[in-house]
Amino acid sequence: MSRNLLGIRHISAEDLRELLALGAEFKRRVLRGEPLPRIPQQTVGLLFFEDSTRTRVSFEQAAKYLGMNTVSFTGRGSSMSKGESLKDTILTLRHERLTTVVMRHRMAGSAQLAARYFPGPVLNAGDGEHEHPAQALGDALTILERKGRLHGLIVSIVGDVEHSRVARSNAWLLSKLGAEVRFVGPKTMLPSHTAMLPGSVHYSLETGIHNADVVMCLRLQKERMLDGLLSSVGEYARMYQVTRQSLEYASPDCLVMHPGPLNRGIELDDDAADGDCSVINDQVENGIFVRMAAYWWALDKTMDDLKRVAA
Amino acid sequence: MRTLLKNGRILDPSQNIDMVGDVLIEDHQLEAYGSNLDVADVHETYDCTDMWIVPGLIDLHTHLRQPGFDHRETISTGTQAAAAGGYTVVCCMPTTQPTLDSPSLVDYILDAAASPSSGGAFVQPIGALTVGMKGEQLSDLAALKRAGIVAASDVGSPTQNSRVMKRAMEYCTQLDLPIIAHCEDLELSQGGSMNEGPVSAMLGLRGIPRSAEEIMVMRNCLLSLHTGCKLHVTGVSTWGAVEMVRQAKYLGAPVSCDIFPHHFCLTEEDVGEFDTRFKVSPPLRTQVDLDIIVQALNDGTIDCIASNHSPYASHEVDVPFGEAPFGISGLESALGVTLTHLTHKGILSPLETVRKLSTAPATVLRLEGGTMRHGETPVAQITVVDPNHRWRFDVGRTFTKGKNSAFHGMDLQGKAVVTFCGAEIYRDAAFPDSRVATRARS
Repeated sequence: MSRNLLGIRHISAEDLRELLALGAEFKRRVLRGEPLPRIPQQTVGLLFFEDSTRTRVSFEQAAKYLGMNTVSFTGRGSSMSKGESLKDTILTLRHERLTTVVMRHRMAGSAQLAARYFPGPVLNAGDGEHEHPAQALGDALTILERKGRLHGLIVSIVGDVEHSRVARSNAWLLSKLGAEVRFVGPKTMLPSHTAMLPGSVHYSLETGIHNADVVMCLRLQKERMLDGLLSSVGEYARMYQVTRQSLEYASPDCLVMHPGPLNRGIELDDDAADGDCSVINDQVENGIFVRMAAYWWALDKTMDDLKRVAA
Repeated sequence: MRTLLKNGRILDPSQNIDMVGDVLIEDHQLEAYGSNLDVADVHETYDCTDMWIVPGLIDLHTHLRQPGFDHRETISTGTQAAAAGGYTVVCCMPTTQPTLDSPSLVDYILDAAASPSSGGAFVQPIGALTVGMKGEQLSDLAALKRAGIVAASDVGSPTQNSRVMKRAMEYCTQLDLPIIAHCEDLELSQGGSMNEGPVSAMLGLRGIPRSAEEIMVMRNCLLSLHTGCKLHVTGVSTWGAVEMVRQAKYLGAPVSCDIFPHHFCLTEEDVGEFDTRFKVSPPLRTQVDLDIIVQALNDGTIDCIASNHSPYASHEVDVPFGEAPFGISGLESALGVTLTHLTHKGILSPLETVRKLSTAPATVLRLEGGTMRHGETPVAQITVVDPNHRWRFDVGRTFTKGKNSAFHGMDLQGKAVVTFCGAEIYRDAAFPDSRVATRARS
């Protein structure tokens, strides 16, 4: 038995709590040097059709902690660049005896397609502008560590929400676990229809992060300017940059987050990025532990299974 | 040789006829109709009790794909699919390779359609409005018309340049050639793969705003009004587009329009989890649009129903949503879907149903057909419809090469069961042998 991690949208609150608890437990064990389970018969294929360093490293690290083999593929130089369809690539990997697939692809829904043709777990490492579930799990674990809860928190996601898979996965996860999600940004970067997205819309940074417990900045893709979504980076920074000053509107111990890579001086100023409230580095580290949890969960193993792995 | 269709409900919108009676076909020509025809020497008798006898259906929007994309469809398979769907005439779009912008290609298509291997329905080609459908230079439309095109269109590559479109309309007015327009502002729709709305926002798919369609409907209607060019808007999908057409008609512009079956019964929510079978252009919209569309079908603002038959090979469709092509193979589902979702729900009467699928399309492009009048067509074009036959649409059982359909698995009520297209007769298993009596020739 196995299951897929295609998106947070499809996962129940109960499973999300389990995943986060597993992530915390893996972290505890790794930090204390306690024994970790080993899943030796597994070979994870890391399929990155889109460039990524941190996500790929993080999935690879997590797999190695669990004693799994990994095989890496990138879009360039692969059969995909020779015109092979995604379906055929997946079928090939299946017969190369890979047991788990981690995939990043530029098209939304590509993880769903892969899951149709791959018998083992498919973990979505980012599909277009749709979802990036492991990122959201790492972010949630980071918030949990600092705040002790998600329920009742106000989380403001600032930036290009419309084109962000990080925003979507975080919004689903946080709202499912009882947080209030706000989308903050210019009208051109927020979805024009949010009836099926769990967040309220704010165009002003000040009102959008008012009393917020967490401010989550999104990376500004500078090529968006070409689409006419922005007049200039300067204008964006003046209106939406999270700074020590703008954080005055948020709650006093507000966490500052960013999925990286950072554009310093655009999304955040140095004070906000490096201040006491910044948990950007924790996000990266926790990313590894929730990915261990994701592998474990996807192979249909539980917290009880993990607890049986003793010294 | 005489063939008698007995005791069916004869529906002829061209004469507002709705009566129970018989239809006599003699030497592949429609000879007579009436109640209790007294005919001797009948070779074959089709018992049409509880069935409709209607003028053969006419499709204004079919992609036959040949030449150039024979892996998706050929003229042979496409015309077989048409006959199975109740169509006796399909107007094929110029989306071939090379584009249908030269008279020799028109000859090629007409020859292929007339060859014995071809599958039944007549083919009426639609020429490219501009060379290569590039929206720059007008095709040699006079020569194309002489070769046999019935309309001009750039379909999926709609002319963006309004000056080019105005010139095209002026020229087509002179040639008395209708223009069929798929209306889309390509700058607004760029990168989009479904309706811009809550579902696209949720799925992280780029949206196609309704304004992308409406702006072009309005532009084209205004150009038609000012040039007097006969304009047929194909595939309206938003309430706004419908209202633009309504307004244009009110102002006296020579405008007509059609709708595709998926746009009166499916919405953006049917896209579900990135199901590429539901990726169409224009995209599936919302319930609000459906409500207005249904009214507009009922009040006649929407003149015709077109199949938008857009076959693709399976491997072209089994890809991530954003990479999938737009379109469904519609010839064999259009009638069943129309009967199920409009006629049986009381939105269209049987006579109005046939008008939208046969008589009105014939009128729009001034084609022969769409009528039971004696001598109107060189050969009989008649379809027998079992309006109550219950069946499940299954792409595994279709004639088209394109198995891409949003209607796969849908339960339908009503089906074309016999299609007479001159000497070509398609008879479905739903019209059993027991209903056909054949007298041995003496």
